[in-house]
Amino acid sequence: MLRRRSRLIGGLSVIAAAGLALAACGNSSSSGSSGSKITLTFWENYGTQLSLLNTAKNLIHAYEKLHPNVTIKMVSQPANNYFALLQASAISHTGPDLAVMWTGLYLPPYADILANLRPYISQSTFNNIEELQWGAEDFNSSKAILAMPVDAQFYMGFYNKKDFAKAGIKQVPQDWNQLYAACTALKKVGVTPIVYGSASASYTGEFNPWYDFSYLMIGALQPSQWEDLYNGKIAWTSPIVQDQLARWHQLFVKGCVNPDALTDANNLGQFISGKAAMTTDDGSWDVGQFTQEMKGNVGAMPPPFSVAPQHGVVYFPGDAISVMKESQNIPAAANFLAFMDSPAGAAQIAAAGLIPDIKNYQSSNALNSQMLGFVKSGYTVYPMLDNVTQPQIVNVGYQVLPALMVGQTSVASAVNAMYVKHNELPVAQRSSYAAYFGG
Amino acid sequence: MSSSGRAGRMPAGLSMRPASPFRLAGGSGRNWGRSQRGAARAGWVLSLPALAGVAALLVLPIGQAFYYSMTTWNGITSTWVGPDAYLQLFEDPTFLRVLENNGLLLLAMPVVIAIPLGIAFLLHEQIAGWKFFRSAVFLPTAISWVVIGVIAVRFYALHGILNSMLSAVGLGFIKTNMLGSTHEALAALAITLIWSQLGTNTIIFITGLAALDPSLAEAARVDGAGPLTVYRRVIIPQMIRFIQFAFIITVLTAFTAIFSLIFVMTGGGPDYGSTTLEFYVYQQAFSESAFGTGALLGVLLFVIVAGISVVQVRVLRARI
Repeated sequence: MLRRRSRLIGGLSVIAAAGLALAACGNSSSSGSSGSKITLTFWENYGTQLSLLNTAKNLIHAYEKLHPNVTIKMVSQPANNYFALLQASAISHTGPDLAVMWTGLYLPPYADILANLRPYISQSTFNNIEELQWGAEDFNSSKAILAMPVDAQFYMGFYNKKDFAKAGIKQVPQDWNQLYAACTALKKVGVTPIVYGSASASYTGEFNPWYDFSYLMIGALQPSQWEDLYNGKIAWTSPIVQDQLARWHQLFVKGCVNPDALTDANNLGQFISGKAAMTTDDGSWDVGQFTQEMKGNVGAMPPPFSVAPQHGVVYFPGDAISVMKESQNIPAAANFLAFMDSPAGAAQIAAAGLIPDIKNYQSSNALNSQMLGFVKSGYTVYPMLDNVTQPQIVNVGYQVLPALMVGQTSVASAVNAMYVKHNELPVAQRSSYAAYFGG
Repeated sequence: MSSSGRAGRMPAGLSMRPASPFRLAGGSGRNWGRSQRGAARAGWVLSLPALAGVAALLVLPIGQAFYYSMTTWNGITSTWVGPDAYLQLFEDPTFLRVLENNGLLLLAMPVVIAIPLGIAFLLHEQIAGWKFFRSAVFLPTAISWVVIGVIAVRFYALHGILNSMLSAVGLGFIKTNMLGSTHEALAALAITLIWSQLGTNTIIFITGLAALDPSLAEAARVDGAGPLTVYRRVIIPQMIRFIQFAFIITVLTAFTAIFSLIFVMTGGGPDYGSTTLEFYVYQQAFSESAFGTGALLGVLLFVIVAGISVVQVRVLRARI
């Protein structure tokens, strides 16, 4: 009996091993344009971000229609340890062909496991992409291209037009004083001025502070000065940073923010329903949902965290897709990415409510058009602060900044934690952005 | 039964010391012949697969972890730092904060032991409805940490169950948002841990109580000792081994098994307020790809847990 059972187990093991080997090998054909059957595996970490999920589905569906011999299997991976999983899979040679990648300083740690797309995609396609350098080796678009942007993203605040009208707010706030005044007016009519919560959550489960922090630094520094935050010429403990954070914390002190900002799980719902008038820890990825549920009742506003009228905007291709160096189907996978950044791919991205990252793109969505209008009307364009800050410091920010907002830690303590982390980094990781590659 | 034990009846010439596992045929050193040597060799050979398995699955990874703990390993490439890595860690204020959190979590241990011990006594006395209560108390043990975490988030939320209950009993002025507070988040975690360990520890103590010799308690009662005195002076001393076991199991759980609870409830925040060493390992290794630091923290966690267990065993052994 025992022997039969062990034989059975042995047999099953052989079958399982063979199956795994087959799955790992996939199809070995090389190009999507040839007639041979190709299966590409695509890892994503989109979680519940519907617009990104829909974008991926749209793109895959359209591409498979154009290339009937290609099948793209989308595999959802947990967002919290996505990059560790990706790295582990690359080391164990079980990785996907295509994988979601973040641009900027999120990219360099994984540069060694990503394929250079330059030999597989035409220069004309690259020329058509906005801010391609953030997915390139050494952030130089004439070098190896490691990640192809999916969409151009705005970190953006949104406001409920009916709530503003109810409170008698005629002009969208543009600086701190106007924001505090709007807050007072909104509280008088029983509306929560600004709502925060876990909808934008980082791995800490609290709201993602880097959306707001980007606008706090826009309100205080020029784009060229942001690299000084990176290299330490402007310390995280500098008065410029502390002053802005202190004003930000005042929003909570003045009752402009929901008291359960760290734990509210329904902050988006409160904004959509009109119980809260503004959301600032947000961005263009929620435009699809806002457009669908709020129709014309929602407007975009760069969070006015500035003493002078806010005149900067975060516009950056933060989300990208890469081809893994391990892939047996690099040409076919690259062909899919070329399609993604072509006019046909852009139509699929736009259909999901996002803004394709191609030059001079005109959106038919009112909110997207409004955001693109900020750029066209001369607002200074900034990258996402977390994409140009060392990931180690970004992680510290996730912990200390939400706590600072609700008064659980002091400004000095929060910035000191970031300063200490900055000083712990190897010198190569705090000199220039490009030096972060290999640093 | 005689209290003299087996040793008293043991034939002369046989040692109390256990024989080597490889002396299959037994026998003394004088009779150590060729066949015995062959048997010993066979013993080693037959043990080799198991030893190789232990070496490959346990010794090697532990050795690797120790090696990588002294490097800056990012998962692909590593640079040797040496023992200085340990010294540098102790200069990191975040690490010290995390250690402090582990220390604070230890303060919950007496409660994790005392409440189940009290419940076990009541159940052992077969109070009315004891069968129902036994099942009810054990229920949390059957629930996964993730589910417990989700329930706890709803319980402690500003508009959650705890505040509703306080309002219902006229204490609505006490509005708590424990998970949103740096100092209270760890307390919320500890309370949840106490609740979730209730079943396991109660069952351990019920088992212990059932295994006790009732004659000692009876003798004490006959001598006029009240119920409390009997428990304090007679039963608890006999329960020390079970308390020791429950303590070690609970410390191990608190230090190495509540990752998912922290992940779901607080994410280690706010401001590292509920980050324990175990969670910090994850943050360093998987959020920052600092696998070298992760390995270093893992080694320290092992040393701390082993240290606490040894101290605890020694302290209780001295009291027996």
